[in-house]
Order: sequence, then structure tokens, then C-alpha cells
Amino acid sequence: MFYAEAVVKPLGDLYVTVEFGDELSLELNFRVIALDRALREARVAGVTETIPTTRSLGVVYDPLTLSRERLVARLRELERSATAVRAVPSRHVTIPIWYDDPWSRECAAAHGAPNNVALLAELNGMTVADVIRTHAGTDHWVSAVGFTPACYQALPLDPSKALTAPKYQRPRKWTPERILCIAGQLTSFYPVASPGGYQLLGRTPIELYDPKQQNPVFRDSPVLPRVGDRHTYVPIDEATYREIRREVDAGAYRYQIEEDTYRLDDYLARVEAMKRGRSGT
Amino acid sequence: MNVLEVLAGGVSSTVQDVGRPGYLATGMPASGPADRFALGIANLLVGNDPGERYLVGRRPGDAGIEVLLSGLRVRVLADTVIAITGADLAPTVDDRPLPVWRAIAVSAGAVLVFHQARAGARAYLAVAGGIDVPTFAGSRATNVRAFVGGVDGRALKAGDVLRAFPPKRGLAELGGRRLRRALVPVYGDRWTVRVVLGPQDDLFLPESVQTFLAYDWRLSPTSDRMGCRYVGPTLEFKPRPAYLVEQAGSDPSNIVDDTIPVGGIQVPGGVEPIVLHVDGPSLGGYAKIATVISADLGKVGQTRPGHVTRFQAVSTGEAVDALRELEDSISEANLEKA
Repeated sequence: MFYAEAVVKPLGDLYVTVEFGDELSLELNFRVIALDRALREARVAGVTETIPTTRSLGVVYDPLTLSRERLVARLRELERSATAVRAVPSRHVTIPIWYDDPWSRECAAAHGAPNNVALLAELNGMTVADVIRTHAGTDHWVSAVGFTPACYQALPLDPSKALTAPKYQRPRKWTPERILCIAGQLTSFYPVASPGGYQLLGRTPIELYDPKQQNPVFRDSPVLPRVGDRHTYVPIDEATYREIRREVDAGAYRYQIEEDTYRLDDYLARVEAMKRGRSGT
Repeated sequence: MNVLEVLAGGVSSTVQDVGRPGYLATGMPASGPADRFALGIANLLVGNDPGERYLVGRRPGDAGIEVLLSGLRVRVLADTVIAITGADLAPTVDDRPLPVWRAIAVSAGAVLVFHQARAGARAYLAVAGGIDVPTFAGSRATNVRAFVGGVDGRALKAGDVLRAFPPKRGLAELGGRRLRRALVPVYGDRWTVRVVLGPQDDLFLPESVQTFLAYDWRLSPTSDRMGCRYVGPTLEFKPRPAYLVEQAGSDPSNIVDDTIPVGGIQVPGGVEPIVLHVDGPSLGGYAKIATVISADLGKVGQTRPGHVTRFQAVSTGEAVDALRELEDSISEANLEKA
């Protein structure tokens, strides 16, 4: 649900969270992004950083210089002015993926799970090729970044291309690095080897986290994904995967990133069109 | 100047300063000391900068070594002054017991050993001048999961040689300083950790919130700088609407992911509340019953597996008072000459 008014809750003494609702929704995420931008522009003394998530904005502040009461009052003011934002800057990032790759297959098998892409095909009533076509057939909106550095969550921007998948019943002990994955409707990513419970989709040869900041794309931050990015996943084969991986290892890979804007109304129109399509058949 | 050579890394010993705030939105935790007070006093004793308050201060201060439980052995490579604070890990210098919470002059060639945990879980070793490792994003704090900070983004191991910056004050002036006795913490086997309830305490059954606050939880051995698990009764959740079952996940503890603060307490499946600590994630999909107040994060960091914790609910106002008190106590005025 969307709350009638944003709810501000304390998270201990150093954070508050401004919650716009409890569900997964691009509209909620736009409100989060809008408030985040307004708060940054307002440069409120005592606010030290913000953490946008799909449905809430975490705000870190120094309670010895800014009281919670004053912070909450300021957030309410900014929130009222920010709700009208309908378009935000959004980078378009192209990421090559070897779908149904051998590392994902091996990882699933080692944990006693069926081939994850085959499972997705079965659950969504389509072929493996359709799963890949469908997932790669829409842009994905990064609505939250976190958990581990460069791990993110992304929503499909074409709701007719949404796949669904359950989480693993027993989380895996390990997942190889650079694996794209899905649970519920959310696409996510394992930047480094880690435990996890999302279904494995494929592997990218490119890094989204580079603590050594070798490639120029990481000059300002070791983490590439940002809330508000749109990802296009391009299916690649083994030969292309290996070729790109060699470029990455040589520090020569050129990331495909375009600065752009995204309008919420474009998304809402697609949702409407899908609903009309459904009611018309 | 080379100051320490690691002979054995022990269970886990990492270089830490007050940490690396500013990157939570990228998923990079601030890291830093599991016990801010102990590292701060260790630094002060040897004339170093203790840094500003955790997560919201501007200066990370000087770096020291956080020693978990036991096993760290180091050789001193140059005459200097050190201080060991925090847990009593039965430290010795050349086989003689080494007093803690006090600045000690040590000579080149001396060997320091942290034998075993007698009280608390994490000791801090500061060296006059501070440990000189490269900064990453403004901090020397080690995060082994993100491979950054400290020595090559990992825990210390045999063969590592650590440099120190020049001491900020004369070594003769530093030796023998100690923390006023009344301020030396006593680490027992029972802890009271203060929490602010929320943000999702309303998703639990009210009687489960009461259980959470009344039970004597035992710290699980499956605990580290990322998260500390507590063993006790299962907590129960209210029924959820169907859209959340679909969007957030089938477990009643699942929520659509939101911000996890440092000190946030997740309860996946209602089993074993986890206090997310200084290397913890900034985003997660399990209901959080409460948040440990920042002044008590160090108590969580000093709890040993098997020891008992009672969580006590306080207001954010009380939490801020406790933070002010903690930060004021990390002060030169609280040191005395032995």
C-alpha cells in the first residue's frame, strides 16, 4: 500500500527512515528519489548521508548538532515540495550477460537445486529461450543499492515482461561473483562471492564493483550501480563473454553508459496499456 | 617507520579507525571499531587522534588494531609507546603480563602476545603516531568482505610489517598515562544493551515484543563484525496481506527491503535476532524489531559467544544522551599519570 502521508520512524539515534509505503512500486521509488534530491539540494546541516531504497529513504544525521524534531519537520517540508517530481536524471547502462551460464548451473547443482533458468521457464509457462528473451526484453530500473557493495535491486520497466521466481527455500552457502539473479519480480546481482537465495539467471564478464578503481568508470566510486539507473541486459554467448572478460582484465573495457532522463508517466502509460490489453482480450 | 611485524594474525586482527561513512548508499558499510570507546581511549593514551563520533563525525582519527579473542603475536620493530584497551585478552610483552588501559613504553625486539579472552571479546592496540596504511575513501578501516582498507583489505597475517606515523608527542611524556580507574569498563558475562524499538516492531505479535525485551538471550558463535546472532525463543509475526506475501517473500518476517541501520536487529523467520554491526549491510528484507543505540554498539562488540544479553527499550532522547556521554568520556581530561 501507499501511505496517505509519508511515515517518519527513528532507526536508533543516528538514522530516521522516511517510508512512503510498504510495497514494491516504481511510483514509491520516484518519491524516494525526489525527496533524496530535495534533501541533498537543501544541504541540511547535520544530515551526513542518505540511503534510498525502493520504498523509503534512510537519513543519517548527527543528533548532537541536529535534533530529530527539527530534522523531521524539515523532511516534512521537503517532502511536500518533492511529491510533484515526475522526471529524474537516469543513466542508461548496458550490461552483457551470458544467461544460463555454466557457473550458475554448477552452483545450483552443488546446492541440490534444479537449473534455475529452467525452473523460471516452468514457473512462468515459457521456454528457456523465452525466459532470456523476456528478461532481456525490457529495461530494469535500479530501485535500491545495498546489502553488499554494488548489490542492487531492479524492477522491470515493462510490466508485461515481468517474470516471477521464488527464493531458494534454503539459502545457498555460496554464489560465484558477477551473477545476475531474480526473486519475486526483482532482479539483483552478486558483485562478489557471497551466500544468497535468489534464482541465478546468468553471469556478466564486467565488474560493477572495483575496489581498486582501475577502470576510469570507477574513478569517483568503486560501485557502479546507482538508484535511478536503467539497465539493459544484452544476452551474449561464451565466445563474447570470454572476449569481454579479456578486455576487463586488461583494464580496456569501455562501459556503455548514457546520461538520460526518465519520466514516470512513460512507465504509467505502459502499465495502463497493459491493463487495457488484458481487458480487451 | 616500521613499527610492528606480525608473527601470527590470531583469530582475526584488523586495522581500524573510526570508519568510512558516506558510502552506505553504495552498499559499503562504514566499518570501523566494534567498540568505539576502547579504540578511542587507546588512541588518546598514546597521543593519537581518537577521531569523531561513529558514522556522523568528520574525522576517522588514527588507526589501531582490533584484536578478536586471541592469537595475535607481533614483534616491536622500533622503540615506541603502545596502549591496549578493550577486552582483557591476557596480553604479555616478552612473557610478562601487560597492563591494559594504560600507555606502555616498549623497546625494539619485544614480542607482544594476546593469549586468551578473560573478559570481553575485542582488544584494541594503539601505537604512538597511529598505524600507517593507505586510506581508501578517506579511512584506514578494514572491511574484509569488500576487500578494502587496512592491509590489502584483509585481516593481518604472519609476515605483515606495519608502519606508524611519527608520534605526535614525546614518548617519555606518554609512557605511564592511564584511563581514570572509575571509567575502566567491567566486562562480565551478562550485558544490558539499550535499544530503540522499531521500525517494524508493529509487525511482531505484541507478546513477542515483550519476549524480546524480557528474555536472557545468548550470543551465538555464528557472530562477527557483520552481524551478531542471539539464541532464544522464536518470535511470532502478525498475519500479512497477500500482496506482501507475493512481493516481499513467503516468510512472515519478509518485508520489501528497506534501510538497515548499524545496530538494526533483524529477526529472519522469527528465529535468532541478528544485530547488524559495523560491517553489516545497509539494505535488507527482514523485519527489524529494534535498533541498538549507538552508545551500546561497543557492548555488543565486547560480548562473547555464550554470554547473556538483555535488550532494554529506551527513547531516542535517552539514546542521544548516552551518545553525548560516551563521546564526552573519550577525552584527555579522563587520563591520568600513573
